[in-house]
Amino acid sequence: MNILSRRSFLSHSSKLGLGAALASLTDIPLVMQRALAEGTIGQPGPNGRVRKLLFLFLRGANDGLNSVIPLADSAYLASRPNLALTPDPLQPVARIGAAFYPEAGSVAGTYGHPYALPLGNGFAALHPSLKFLSPLYNAGDLALVHRVGYPKQSRSHFDSQAYWETGAPTDLAVKDGLLYRAMVESGLANTSPLTAVSIGSSLPLILRGSKAAMTNINDPTRYSLLSIPNTVPGNSKAAAALAAANAARFADKRERDLLELQYKNLSETLQLFAQLKFEETDNTFRDDVATDGDTDWANANGGGYYLFPTTAEKNGGWRRTSGNRADKYVVPTGAHEFFERLKAASIILNNTDAIVAGVSIDGWDTHSDQVDAKNDTTGQGSHTGSHAGLLRRVGWSLYALQKYFTRYANKCRWDDLAVVTLSEFGRTSMENSDAGTDHAEASVMWVAGGNVKGFEPGTLGGVKRTGVWNCGGEGDRVIPWVTGPTGSMFRAEDRYLQRNTDYRSVLGKIIRDHLGASPEQLNRIIPGYTQAGESLQRGGVQSKDNTSIIGEPDLI
Amino acid sequence: MRGSVRSWKTARDLLIVVYIRTCRMNTVTGSVRSLLLSCLLGSGFSGEAEEGSVSTPLANTVISGQIDSLTGQEQLRLGFDPVPATEEYQVQFAPALDGIFTLLGPATNGFQWTGPVGSEPAGFYRVVPRQLSTNELWATTLLYRIAYGPTPDDEERVRQLGPEAYLAEQLNAESVPETLDTVDATPRWQRITATGLGSSSRLYVYLDGPGDVYLDDLRLVVGTSDDGSRPNLLRNGGFESALGTDWNLSPNLIGSARSSQFVKSGSASLHLVSTEAGETQGSSIYQVIAPALSSSQTYTLSYWYLTSDQAARLTLRLSGSGIVNTHGLSGEANSPAPLFSKLKGTTATRADLRAWHVLRAIQSPKQLHEVLRQFFENHFVTQVSKTQDYFDGRGYDTPDPEYFAVRTEFVENFRWREALLKPQVTFLDLLKISAESPAMIVYLDTVSSRGDGNNVANENYARELCELFCFGVDNGYDQQDLVQISRAWTGWRLDILDPANEFNPLAARSTTYLDPTATGTGLNANTNVVGVWGFRYRSDRHNSRAKYLFYNWDANGNRLDSKKVPARFGAPWAGQDYGKILPARTGAAGLQDGYDILAHMANQPFTQEYLSVKLCRLFVHDGFAHGYDFTDAETTPEEELVRNCMLVWENATPKGQLRPVLQVIFNSELFRKHDASLQKARTPLEFAVSTLRALRARKPDGTYTAETDGYSVYNFMNRAGRMRLFDRAEPDGYPEDAPGWISAGTLAERLRFVQSALMPAGMEGKSDAGANTRVDVLGLLQAKLGSAALQDPAQVTDYLLTTLFPAEGHANLQAYRAVALQFLNTADDGVTASPFANLSPGSPAHDQRLRGLVGLLMSTQRFQEQ
Repeated sequence: MNILSRRSFLSHSSKLGLGAALASLTDIPLVMQRALAEGTIGQPGPNGRVRKLLFLFLRGANDGLNSVIPLADSAYLASRPNLALTPDPLQPVARIGAAFYPEAGSVAGTYGHPYALPLGNGFAALHPSLKFLSPLYNAGDLALVHRVGYPKQSRSHFDSQAYWETGAPTDLAVKDGLLYRAMVESGLANTSPLTAVSIGSSLPLILRGSKAAMTNINDPTRYSLLSIPNTVPGNSKAAAALAAANAARFADKRERDLLELQYKNLSETLQLFAQLKFEETDNTFRDDVATDGDTDWANANGGGYYLFPTTAEKNGGWRRTSGNRADKYVVPTGAHEFFERLKAASIILNNTDAIVAGVSIDGWDTHSDQVDAKNDTTGQGSHTGSHAGLLRRVGWSLYALQKYFTRYANKCRWDDLAVVTLSEFGRTSMENSDAGTDHAEASVMWVAGGNVKGFEPGTLGGVKRTGVWNCGGEGDRVIPWVTGPTGSMFRAEDRYLQRNTDYRSVLGKIIRDHLGASPEQLNRIIPGYTQAGESLQRGGVQSKDNTSIIGEPDLI
Repeated sequence: MRGSVRSWKTARDLLIVVYIRTCRMNTVTGSVRSLLLSCLLGSGFSGEAEEGSVSTPLANTVISGQIDSLTGQEQLRLGFDPVPATEEYQVQFAPALDGIFTLLGPATNGFQWTGPVGSEPAGFYRVVPRQLSTNELWATTLLYRIAYGPTPDDEERVRQLGPEAYLAEQLNAESVPETLDTVDATPRWQRITATGLGSSSRLYVYLDGPGDVYLDDLRLVVGTSDDGSRPNLLRNGGFESALGTDWNLSPNLIGSARSSQFVKSGSASLHLVSTEAGETQGSSIYQVIAPALSSSQTYTLSYWYLTSDQAARLTLRLSGSGIVNTHGLSGEANSPAPLFSKLKGTTATRADLRAWHVLRAIQSPKQLHEVLRQFFENHFVTQVSKTQDYFDGRGYDTPDPEYFAVRTEFVENFRWREALLKPQVTFLDLLKISAESPAMIVYLDTVSSRGDGNNVANENYARELCELFCFGVDNGYDQQDLVQISRAWTGWRLDILDPANEFNPLAARSTTYLDPTATGTGLNANTNVVGVWGFRYRSDRHNSRAKYLFYNWDANGNRLDSKKVPARFGAPWAGQDYGKILPARTGAAGLQDGYDILAHMANQPFTQEYLSVKLCRLFVHDGFAHGYDFTDAETTPEEELVRNCMLVWENATPKGQLRPVLQVIFNSELFRKHDASLQKARTPLEFAVSTLRALRARKPDGTYTAETDGYSVYNFMNRAGRMRLFDRAEPDGYPEDAPGWISAGTLAERLRFVQSALMPAGMEGKSDAGANTRVDVLGLLQAKLGSAALQDPAQVTDYLLTTLFPAEGHANLQAYRAVALQFLNTADDGVTASPFANLSPGSPAHDQRLRGLVGLLMSTQRFQEQ
């Protein structure tokens, strides 16, 4: 075995430039790692359960200004003649209270409501394709954090995704992932077969590192070897022979540590997954209420919509209309593969000791034709199109996760889970000539979970606390959103939304106060977290670009 | 008791010296003495070299030793770490360091040697690894990197030819004879065999569309091969008598009949004439075999066919697909030729394109050419589904928009292929092909970008031109440059052109009409205009103002001086101005903006560096990155290699020629030695292609021991990390490094793929690699070892280990060898003894044991590497 040989460890760790504490943790005997680890990541709390994290990576850069919309900013409509959503004539954005939730009932299409949905903070509104976030928001389980970015923002997808994933903006020397380091800090990374998993085509950087293998799963139903020579899958002769071959020693080569780790991971995951049910026939998870007010469907089918729309039949109120109306679906039919993955991630978090799971949604690079109705200055049609389809995935995902981890909870309940979205940067506040938007700076993060501190109603229809940060809500008290052509939507060259929150502050808050990292661990998971010039924890001026930021949003 | 251990490496050879001083300790038990000695060995490990003839200590080798007298005889055990590419570890002894070392014997039992303590109380032991020679190692790395892995035949050929000659041949691809895409003009009879289980007693024969083919000498016999000695289970397989009730004709094949015009043997053959696609009994020519076949018995089907060039594919199969065989009908079976014909036409799908690509990768004798084409296809990445969406939005339901999109991919690949056959091909040649490709124009949105009036140009292409195609991220450009370049790339659009104008961006839209009588916009509708979609420049969409590339600007937007090449590049580049001003240009002249930028950027030191690094990562190992400081004292062999690549790039006339750069890489010490050998993991494409190549030998009858139709491999590539060739969403192309591809989930897919590929048809799980992916292990061993060795587990194992792991070294494969022998000599439970020597070649048990063994060896960690 050459995985944890001292010399390979030394040669790798010297390249990493990370704290010696992290390094020493991987170099001590496996059985001792958990005992020596600080903090409580991966440790059951008083209720006997482990706090967990699910991340959704919106790859390609989400247009935050078309997600949580600064509807009360006069510059919004002017900057986006084709993209802007029309204010709802019946739901003024100035209203204070809960978020508006336009249930479709049994007649209208799911997304028939064409207007932005006021969030009740007097300023911001949700894109109508995010309507399923309204009930979540009103339950206080959702935080919407606007103007999130990092100093010296790169507008390259690849650099910027890498910075989000390594947790070290503009520092290409840090090569391993932020959540990978969190798992190493838990002390469980090399002893528990599943600590962090991604469901997708390949292991993302945020979970990558050379000292422990996080698991990537392309399709959990294919976790069995065919095992010739027998006609019976799972035959033990080939498996035993392979295990014996895997124990062989070889000279060091560049990729051999990685192969060793991932083969070990493979054999352990094979054993674990043999116990779980990932087949389509087992996808019976349903809403507990008549979803979207659709009593027709609920009465005919004995309950609400399927939570994980993996087929057209399980996608929303398919009985509502007999024709092939696209608006009967809760997500575009192209999203079935994504929900297959989200379901697998949920099953794994709910039924194993895995602490972190992640899924990516691709396609956010909406340079052109972001809406259906190009050159339509009336704004009609701006609630549909490619970006709307992507938002529907997010909106329904968070709604469905809340229901799944409430109604079907086993090892993980909604209170134990935090769901967070990541996206490498925002898009230009001004639209381009193709009814699209180009690469820019700050954008939105969504954080959901039973442990999240979001909206709280006040007396007499007022608001005690909003679930919005930095867009007319929390955070704006410190660094207000300045409206108009010279305001917060604008910065260099007139089309970049300026950040006032660092994504690391959001992740840092979650990793420490939800997952249970100690402050010292957090400093290693996010390098330099408490360094004065970064202002990540308490806010202040970021010394790298003299920009004021609010520090950690108080959302856990 | 005193002792010490030292290790050195001589300049000439690897030398491990163990110096052990023992004294007789008859009153101490063996175990205690072992412990004492181990401690002393450990403490003495860092001893320094003393002799003038030896150099630096071998830092990575750990030596341990112990004396064991449990048997009453004192034993010395030497353990050591493996050394790369070692064929044999020889243990030698000398009483004194300057004495003569005598061979004690080879190390056995892993990396250990046990033997009696020398008669002297003190002495020196050394372990001398006999490694592959420099040329042998270089040859294996060449086969792994400039080819999609070795085939058994290539390994033999390169051994004869020597690495230098092989490299020269591959670099000069235009001189390698190759006719894979050429349809054989003189039809000749070809033989096909297929082995599988007797899933049913009904044999179906059909084409997948209209066409005809001559068939003769159909045979079905018991066993995994047919040497002609076993009885034919088919009736009238030679078609010497009337078809009668032996062969039943379904309506779509009713025109079929016996023919005496072409015969393989006897006086007649079957002329199969198909009017439409067959699929099952009711649409095939079929025979009900009597007596019935056994579903647990293995059979081999063989036949001869003769045809002229045509698109249809022939299938012969047993109902239930226990035996199934589908292949094209032109050139050799599974030739890319018919796919090439189809791709040149207008009805090819992305599956056809991928199959063509895979078949060429497997079969082409111009392997380096195939590797390079894939590299540049991936470097200048585009996405066929995005192109398809573009055409979908332009009125095309029929013909399918996919055909248009696939054609754009095929054309750019075809043009790269032609360019790469030119001895003086430059990077600029390839860059231009990419920029002009309709696939790229759609992919990065130049197709709709406007710079006229107040329109803000789309930055997508400009960004990736800098970041991914030429300079590399954060290497010599900033946001202002992207804005300037994006303005130049306006007006680069697509239109329907006369075929003669396909590569003339200034040509007008085609005026050939499907229906010339159509009126109004109907006349000019895309679906009414006949021609090919190509790059067309629209000056009225172009930003005609002057552009200032690679200049510095102040905060107020005033232009300052030109950017200068940073000092880190050193001579001859450091300090050079590389600003470029494009004058205001109107009309057709505006097209020149783009070409000026390409020519300007293609040979800047940033491009030289970035492309050299990428090529080194492809061919040497992943530990290269741009951004080296070429001027400071600190340097590495990697940095030096990149600089040498850049120098030949810079100094060639014309600049930027690829072949001199490749020469530098392939002849470098890094490439030829252990620094490159087996240091990379295979991508899914490399894994699938090299798996089939590793088992693909030409049999005496002209067929091959591993075959695929090309289509079957795609599902695997998609599952093993979503390697959707020609359809990558992100413009960085598919990764080269191992972490991008290797995780538990993708390994599960890789293991399933090799195991499925090794299965005979009809087994559950065969669909993973596809029914038309076939491997004939017995045929391979017969061709390479001869019949006498087929029951000798040691010979079989040693041949397979050498063929599958040619760079590892025999001695390093001992553990695999032990596992393999155990596998061959046990029954399916893996425990009960069942000597391989007792299984008769060709029997199902023998066949299954062999297939299982190869599947096992290809499932190991070491087979993931190259």
